Amino acid sequence: MRYEIRVDGQMSETLAKAFPELDHVVMSGQTVLFGPVVDEAHLYGLLARCRSLGLRVLEMRRVPE
Amino acid sequence: MVSEHGSDRPRSPAAGTDPLGDPFLRTCFAVPVPPAAFLHRPRLTRRLGRVPDTPLTVVDGCAGAGKTLLVADWAARLERPVAWFTVDSCGRAPGVFWAYLLEALRASGAEELQDIGAPADAGTVDHGLLTRLAARLDARDRPVTVVLDAYDRVTALEITDQLGFVLHHAGRGLRLVLVTRVEPTLPLHRCRADGTLTEIRDAELAFTPEEAAALLELHGLHLGHDAVRALVARTRGWAAGLRLCALAARQSGDPEKYLKEFEAGQSTIADFLLAEVLERQPPATQDLLLRVSVLDRFCPDLADALTGRRDAGPVLAELHRSNAFVEYLGHAWYRLHPLFAEILKAHLRMRLPGLESELHRRAARWLRHAGPLSDTLAHGAAAGDWEFTARALVDDLALGQFFTGLRSGDLDALFARMPPGATGPEADLVRAARELAGPDRDRACVHLERARRASARAGPGRAEVRLGCALLDTLDARLAGAPDRAEHAARTARELWRDLPAALLDRHPELPALLRTHLGAARLWAGRFDDARAVLSEAAAGRDAATAPPREEALGLLALIDLLTGWPTRAERAALAALADAERFSLAEPAGLDLVHPVLAAVAVDRDELDDAQALLDRAAAVRPVPPDPVTAACRVIARACLQLARGRTEAALETAGTAVPAAVASPWAEDRTALVVAAAHLAEGRPETAVEVLRDAVGRDAACTVAAARAHLAAGDPDAALHLLDRLPADRSGGPAVTVRALLVRAEAAVLRGDPATARRLAVRALADARRERLRRPLLEAGPSLRRLLRSDVLQGALRSGPADRPGARGRIPPRTARQTALVVEELSGRERDVLRRLARMMSTEEIAADLFVSVNTVKTHLKSAYRKLGVNRRSDAVHRARELRLL
Repeated sequence: MRYEIRVDGQMSETLAKAFPELDHVVMSGQTVLFGPVVDEAHLYGLLARCRSLGLRVLEMRRVPE
Repeated sequence: MVSEHGSDRPRSPAAGTDPLGDPFLRTCFAVPVPPAAFLHRPRLTRRLGRVPDTPLTVVDGCAGAGKTLLVADWAARLERPVAWFTVDSCGRAPGVFWAYLLEALRASGAEELQDIGAPADAGTVDHGLLTRLAARLDARDRPVTVVLDAYDRVTALEITDQLGFVLHHAGRGLRLVLVTRVEPTLPLHRCRADGTLTEIRDAELAFTPEEAAALLELHGLHLGHDAVRALVARTRGWAAGLRLCALAARQSGDPEKYLKEFEAGQSTIADFLLAEVLERQPPATQDLLLRVSVLDRFCPDLADALTGRRDAGPVLAELHRSNAFVEYLGHAWYRLHPLFAEILKAHLRMRLPGLESELHRRAARWLRHAGPLSDTLAHGAAAGDWEFTARALVDDLALGQFFTGLRSGDLDALFARMPPGATGPEADLVRAARELAGPDRDRACVHLERARRASARAGPGRAEVRLGCALLDTLDARLAGAPDRAEHAARTARELWRDLPAALLDRHPELPALLRTHLGAARLWAGRFDDARAVLSEAAAGRDAATAPPREEALGLLALIDLLTGWPTRAERAALAALADAERFSLAEPAGLDLVHPVLAAVAVDRDELDDAQALLDRAAAVRPVPPDPVTAACRVIARACLQLARGRTEAALETAGTAVPAAVASPWAEDRTALVVAAAHLAEGRPETAVEVLRDAVGRDAACTVAAARAHLAAGDPDAALHLLDRLPADRSGGPAVTVRALLVRAEAAVLRGDPATARRLAVRALADARRERLRRPLLEAGPSLRRLLRSDVLQGALRSGPADRPGARGRIPPRTARQTALVVEELSGRERDVLRRLARMMSTEEIAADLFVSVNTVKTHLKSAYRKLGVNRRSDAVHRARELRLL
């Protein structure tokens, strides 16, 4: 399954390295992380990673393959 | 800087109570020290001040919201000590979590919790322990305050349920403060409804403009009202954001301008500000911060080991003073703020790629000499340096921890990642230990042999490696049923003992406990009961959690020796002691209890509690379908065969007795007991001569077999041969009551056959009195027809009633379920009595039964009365129950 996680603020390249398994695109005032997610455990792990990096998750959605 | 916190040292755990023997654990119990530039916020501490009124407080906010320091600031202002516990990896395993939490409580001075026990298994905590904890807390005059910091690291769902249970039942004796990033799964809505919850969430944790202004002042920034408001809006009052902002602005040279630009920016706050602040640190400080990001906690010396410089002391003190990145834990130990640690790790990977595993390697090497083993192993594994990691474990003599103690699960999981390519005797020892502790026991000998050869290649090998070999060899030999090899290996271990430092050995009480238990089991298999008892008694003597599984196993083995030597009550007592110990240390179905159930089943058969015996055997088979060692396997076979015999299923008993128990060396008692079952089956089928033949070898060697052979002679109509056998049995080897009662009954029956009723009666009275003390019924039920007539006679029952009373001690520990007073000999029910009972069991009334049987109501009542007397009951339901138990229905 593929997911898209939208976080508040423009992430630096360095911080994006904390999500090596995902691609990212920076837009006005937001960053979208996207890519394949293995399973539910991975999904919750990504959320926890956002939390521990102090990122505010604005939106998270599953995207069609 | 460091010294002024000297008074904040948490009370160190009392010697011997620390579950891991780990002084570094204290940093988990330390209340974090707020930095100099910390802003005290009365608005929030007042809310926390309400804690004495609500049992539960949840401080729930995002990373860097200032939760921990807020609660630490509040705790430091309290008059009484607080049990502070920062959750770490222990949140994955309930056993470890509760062991640490109990330790935190004790360290905070809750003396009354000293003797409630502790979990000894990482994965489980006994409900009884939680009940005891709640009861002790409930009995307190003033509540104990417990702060669980980083509660979001609790990932095992049952921990929260258990915590909820304790909180609910501790009444006003416990005030719990949870500091967490994630809302705990406690029933918070209910607490909200009945007002027993204080909540401080992100919205309240956020800094107000006034507070932000005060915080910036503390950092030397004096801003106008509007500037502060704009800053609070941009950071949403987020503590970490404000702190970093203050640092970055102050370092920028023109704070006002800097903040203006920051407000207009669109970057993620922590990410951006941290990079800014990091950028402006001196290069040495930047380098240090990046490198220590791989560590959970560090002291200056450890940080120096990672940087290769000697400047970490002043750098860390300065960072803490300026409220940047690091928190102080006391004892000269620091940790990075968790939020910054994550971001710094990302910077480390970017700026110094490939350095991470080298840093782990350096940390592991430093910790090897000065830190806790668990941290050494974790960093060694993270570095992928498996030779080093295995060696650190073996050199610490910690191989035994694969088999017992809180760490066993962690160790197993850690070394499960070890690739097959890792070489060296230590790596092979670790593999062998994992296999012996798990289901792959057969494969262990390969690795054990490889370790031995690799170690021997370079001279005699290191003592630590050889001791590890000897320990695993003793276990392997015991499991294989090779007593001589076990004896040899245990002797080698004892000799190596002398060459190793006493201080190191003292830290590993599990090592001698495991060695003794395995050696005792091997000796028991060899039939050397006295020698086995000597080592097992030592293994059973300890009391601490680290040695609980081998201790319980030793108690089980001692119970088996008692059973085999004819002491059922002693066997039961030892088995129940093992169960009680397992409960005390929260071991759910530990390997150490494998023997307990078959031993108790065999005791139950001797007491003619056949359903209980069946249940115990079923349970043993359900918990561990394959018996772990030949001793347990043989014990199960014998108990099952005896039960089948008692139920009259001789064919099945013979088949069971024929089950092969694989072992390198045959066990004399296992063979004798099998012969005993086979002989009893033949006897029951009316083939006494075959029975005598089966027992020929065992006679003289085993008292129970000798008595059984005598009984077979009697059944063959040869009382003289029977008495001759019994007379030859040496008095000092006559065995316990289970044997002597049977011998007395044989003698009594022989007297009947020889026409000497007076002697017969005298012997029978003795036998009955002894049997009653041990609650033995099976020997009486096995007695021949002429003797049973005598046993049933009123004269004898009368003599018995005035005979010796039950010993209170012998009954004290028997569970109520089986402590029922029952008549000793069941008189057979008449056909009519059975008819009545059967109808009673179908819930028919007396009148209905009378109508159904075409008799008068009075006749039914007479039959009932008579049946009650024979069953030793005085109520309908009891009569049905008892008759079912005795398989009379």
